[in-house]
Amino acid sequence: MPKIMIESKNTELFLSVIAAHKGIIYKIANAYCKSEDDRLDLVQEIIAQIWISFLTYDNRYKYSTWIYRISLNVSISYYRKDRRRKEISNSLEDSNMLYLSESSYDDETDIKLGQLNRFIAGLSQLDKALMLLYLDDRSHKEISEIMDISTSNVATKIARIKEQLKQKFSQL
Amino acid sequence: MDELEIKNLWTTYDKRLNENLVFNRKNAEQITHLKIQSVLSSMKPVKFTGIILGILWVWFLGNLISKAIYTASYFFLVSAGLQVLVSILAIGIYVYQVFLINNIDITGSVLITQEKLAKLRASTLLIVRLILLVMPVFTTFYLTSDMFIKENTLLWVVQSAVTMSFTFTGIWLFIHINYENRDKKWFKLLFSGREWNPIIKSSELLAQIKEYRIE
Repeated sequence: MPKIMIESKNTELFLSVIAAHKGIIYKIANAYCKSEDDRLDLVQEIIAQIWISFLTYDNRYKYSTWIYRISLNVSISYYRKDRRRKEISNSLEDSNMLYLSESSYDDETDIKLGQLNRFIAGLSQLDKALMLLYLDDRSHKEISEIMDISTSNVATKIARIKEQLKQKFSQL
Repeated sequence: MDELEIKNLWTTYDKRLNENLVFNRKNAEQITHLKIQSVLSSMKPVKFTGIILGILWVWFLGNLISKAIYTASYFFLVSAGLQVLVSILAIGIYVYQVFLINNIDITGSVLITQEKLAKLRASTLLIVRLILLVMPVFTTFYLTSDMFIKENTLLWVVQSAVTMSFTFTGIWLFIHINYENRDKKWFKLLFSGREWNPIIKSSELLAQIKEYRIE
């Protein structure tokens, strides 16, 4: 098959994988960034890293596991004002890749979601990752594969974070 | 709010994202046409420059020592020798960093990848500590045996005070520059500024990783 056709097929597959997992990328970027600008920047960085790693995708893992790993690794080690990232942004016509067309539901849900997101944002880098995976209903086995801790350790750590969360909400 | 309510709330959030989150394919497609280096690959040129400059510096000092070994004062030889030793250690750290860069897989599991990344960043602090440790040699390399005989007492008092304070400060900083002291005033004064933030946070992350591995 000609090289150009392979590249085009890869690009299509890459875009469809991102489209199918956009929620994961958005939620993680949102949890690790305080400002809107930083989140745009982080989403761009995650998508760029997924593209760089796309040709070496290890099909032993599900796409979701693979995307969680890249998104969490990029987010945890993300620091603002990276010169290299600015160069990528400058090369793009528009660096906004994921955005919400409608941002609110109803007052009560918004308030509660705001509280939950603030709680997650206040967790340590690793607790944050674990909490996001737990809330996304990932099995302990998958969390263990993503994080590299034993399934029993996953259960212990999640129980501790849930206790913190319960206390936090009981104080409100 | 109990666990079920929290889960339901998150499901609502998911539903909202499914309905309203827009993926701009055109913008994302542009990324596939750019020649993008990974964050890690972009670090390599700096590390290689450090290694090359370090080797040139060691080569220069080594030459100087070998040429002046019979004529220069012991103070100069010992000072330059210590400088060579610390420079070799710093080169070793840069080589270790290149090794880590080549072994970090951003698609790898979170704890393993983050541990390597944090070690990579935190090792920069070790280079700073080594440079500070070798500070006193800059106050001794110009001394000669003749100066002990000919110079006056006042000069020796000043010289000793300067060398001892550099030695004390160098050793003290070498021992105390670590994550546990990150909240101390002197530490913040030395390492304030955005270029230090990733390095300090890496030490913090290493502590978290250590705690996370405990069952």
